Amino acid sequence: MPRFALSALGVDQPGIVAAVSGALMELGCNLEDSTMSILQGHFAILLVVSAGPSVTVAELQAALEPEADLFDLIVSVRALHDPVPGAEAGGDPQGSQLFEPWTISVHGADRTGIVHGITAALAEAGGNVVDLATHLVGGADAPMYVMTLRVTLPGGIEAPAAAARIRAAGDALGVHCTVHPDEADTL
Amino acid sequence: MLPMSVRPVLVLPHPVLVTPAAPVGSVDGAARRLAQDLLDTMRASPACVGLAAPQIGEPRRALAVDVTGHGKARSCHGPFVLFDPEIVSSAAPETAREGCMSVPDLTGDVHRASRLVVAGLGPDGRRVELEVDAFEARAVQHEIDHLDGLVFLDRVAGPHGVFPRKVYR
Repeated sequence: MPRFALSALGVDQPGIVAAVSGALMELGCNLEDSTMSILQGHFAILLVVSAGPSVTVAELQAALEPEADLFDLIVSVRALHDPVPGAEAGGDPQGSQLFEPWTISVHGADRTGIVHGITAALAEAGGNVVDLATHLVGGADAPMYVMTLRVTLPGGIEAPAAAARIRAAGDALGVHCTVHPDEADTL
Repeated sequence: MLPMSVRPVLVLPHPVLVTPAAPVGSVDGAARRLAQDLLDTMRASPACVGLAAPQIGEPRRALAVDVTGHGKARSCHGPFVLFDPEIVSSAAPETAREGCMSVPDLTGDVHRASRLVVAGLGPDGRRVELEVDAFEARAVQHEIDHLDGLVFLDRVAGPHGVFPRKVYR
């Protein structure tokens, strides 16, 4: 069954999700993973859909065109071909090595390079971003940046060392950075 | 009678809020004035259920809590101040949304114990031990975090656990 990555962005208003999902439903598409959020008054949609065997990118774009015009959305559609290694087992594309889920919280006076500095240290430590959200708050006179990440770190004894590298990157940026393992109680 | 003193509440990214506070040790006149300032400042904001000394710019281990009349409260010790508080035991974690006067634009989902025994020095210098639960337990843990240079953002349950207070529509 063909799958497609779809993104849409426009000034937020009620009805965008209903319109986009309605057009996809008419075409017999199934919404799989998605993330949708308001970003400073703009609504952003990012999703993976599966479709019937004959559906093409052009058909999807044509089906979404009236909604894109109505809501002034920037829409892009891309066919997904290769299966992603490990995607079925929980979205970890890092192969067979054991990885652990951790959470990173970062906050401090806004400056350029916070996202890059933290994620570069994460990548150098062999970790991977699973989910990330940022918020710029505090107004123009004292802007503050808040970033929260769910990440995977190399498992076992490597994880605390990776966490230390990420904390050091936070120190170098002058932001407060806590890095801690996710705890899940199995019931 | 000490004069009423409402102090300004600091907001992030103020450095005092991310720095561990120093122990008070013994309760002297300065510590008692600090206790009164915490209570006065807390009362000045009707929605405020707790305040820690670093939030008013004092890097010392002191907190005030008052959950009187709050809908989520079960235990309620009224307004109280603790110096050098320590968590003796904790149990029954649960997740709830919380905000903070020092982080005015955001709220967050935080996992915390809902039953707690906390010990510390009272304003009279004597050691007290309090059993708190539900919202009062959450408030105590939130304020103790401030004494360790932590805010709720450091404990949120992942990227989808932070929420802007500003609602666009």
